[in-house]
Amino acid sequence: MQFGIFSVGDVTTDPTTGHTPDDTERVRAMLTIARHADEAGLDVFATGEHHNPPFVPSSPTTMLGYLAGVTKHITLSTATTLITTNDPVRLAEEYAMLQVISDGRMDLMMGRGNTGPVYPWFGQDIRQGIPLAIENYALLRRLWTEDVVDWSGKFRTPLQGFTSTPRPLDGVAPFVWHGSIRSPEIAEQAAYYGDGFLHNAIFWPMEHTAQMVNFYRQRFEHHGHGSADQAIVGLGGQVFMRKESQKAWDEFRPYFDEAPVYGHGPSMEDFTRETPLTVGSPQQVIDRYGAFWEQVGHYQRQLFLMDHAGLPLKTVLEQIDLLAEEVVPVLRREAEARRPAHVPANPPTHAERVAAARAAGDVHVQQPAAADHWTGRTAEDDIDAADAVAR
Amino acid sequence: MSQERSLVVVSSGVSQPSSTRLLADRIAAATVEELAARGVTARVTTIELRDLAHEVVNMTLTGFASGPLADALAKVSAADGLVVVTPVFTASYSGLFKSFVDVLDKDALASMPVLLGATGGTGRHSLVLEYALRPLFGYLHADVVGTGVYAATDDWADGAGDDVRPLPERIRRAARELAEAVADREPAKPVGLYEAVPSFDQLLGSD
Repeated sequence: MQFGIFSVGDVTTDPTTGHTPDDTERVRAMLTIARHADEAGLDVFATGEHHNPPFVPSSPTTMLGYLAGVTKHITLSTATTLITTNDPVRLAEEYAMLQVISDGRMDLMMGRGNTGPVYPWFGQDIRQGIPLAIENYALLRRLWTEDVVDWSGKFRTPLQGFTSTPRPLDGVAPFVWHGSIRSPEIAEQAAYYGDGFLHNAIFWPMEHTAQMVNFYRQRFEHHGHGSADQAIVGLGGQVFMRKESQKAWDEFRPYFDEAPVYGHGPSMEDFTRETPLTVGSPQQVIDRYGAFWEQVGHYQRQLFLMDHAGLPLKTVLEQIDLLAEEVVPVLRREAEARRPAHVPANPPTHAERVAAARAAGDVHVQQPAAADHWTGRTAEDDIDAADAVAR
Repeated sequence: MSQERSLVVVSSGVSQPSSTRLLADRIAAATVEELAARGVTARVTTIELRDLAHEVVNMTLTGFASGPLADALAKVSAADGLVVVTPVFTASYSGLFKSFVDVLDKDALASMPVLLGATGGTGRHSLVLEYALRPLFGYLHADVVGTGVYAATDDWADGAGDDVRPLPERIRRAARELAEAVADREPAKPVGLYEAVPSFDQLLGSD
């Protein structure tokens, strides 16, 4: 089972000091956090994608590409990649490039995005969120799996004879997750393709998470990808730890009370009872997170939100150490001990996906383009060339 | 038509005792009688928004229903008929009342028979039912019955509010309309989040 962290990349004033990082400081903090997570032995670092302040991570593949070069083991991922407002052609290109650069040490998670104005800023309509997610992802998959794509749909200009480059590493597309909190259509989409499904339940009661995950599992089996308990499931989580529980409680409370999402709303007592937020000792985190499998089944990835609400970088790095040293080894061991043999321990790695593709008879042969159809030609020639490729 | 129906009453009075709750109870009792006259038994669930006020604000901020609010929202969504009664605060429904309506699922009241009620200090606010409540429930595609019931303080005196159409008569007329609408319908079936999910082929071909 994999354990990692995900970042929203929020710029939030530290309520205890009044310090607000600028965007540059915040981006650098994210890089430091990711490198630290790698060195500490966590399995995953995932960055969000946002196009509005106070969030800085607008360009995930730039960030993850850099991290691919300076980290060794950690899987680089997203939480989430906006499948609605990004051009699926650019996503195919950027994430195939990241896959090649990271030598397959990456995956990505699709999400719709819930910030209303981002849709019109990128020429879309939030009311079309689900249809956009369905159509754009269908195109994205084709761009990775088919060398030459002819395509037309509702939301994007048509493609004739288009080849997305670089072609995926070893001819095998990156593993994809789909993240959704309350849209069963997205769980259905993940199940249909046999992709992973991550429920980011950090603000929601666990019963709701369990319903959504179990719906995905049943549909995964229905679509013939294996038994329900073999579906690839991830959960979002949120913790704040100190060795002494009361110290964690006292230190985190001002951040909780001022946090952008839940601040000035429910009390920390209520919120920790009703959502996966756990504030206390590492043992309390182990007890809580070590029991979620009872509601959602054996799952493959647990992500934690750690660098938010204005917590200082030093504190975040200490949290990563506590997680990696005291919590994850125990949770990993316990998960492995109770996992039935037929249930995957982890999401598929690139090597496993390549092996599966080869076993299924999918031999990777990349045909070098016989000629450059485009350079130096006139527009009229291009039409002929497009027809030739389409044929 | 012998199956028991669920009549849910939402009252957003804030004082104890409250004339809003009093009106809500009268309307509920009259509706149960009118349904019984049509051979339909009804089970009444009354939701006092005062008891859920903190949870309503929390949900406004967090997006999810906690504790008893989740149960209340589920009961409203699954009702065969709904009675809503709000006090008039500053020329409209109370803020708590609107906040509760705001956290309802946008489809929760679609086609649901709804009776509107309001209370106020004087009869001069009685059109609040028409200019504030009716558009709100129209937006939610509720099937609002034609007669709403407004009770001013004077209405609780014996005939003093309106000698020609006293409050009990107005309640009876509205209750009859609600009972007819409820009795005309098939009992509401609980619709879970996962029962109406289109197949993926439908999703792919959705145009």
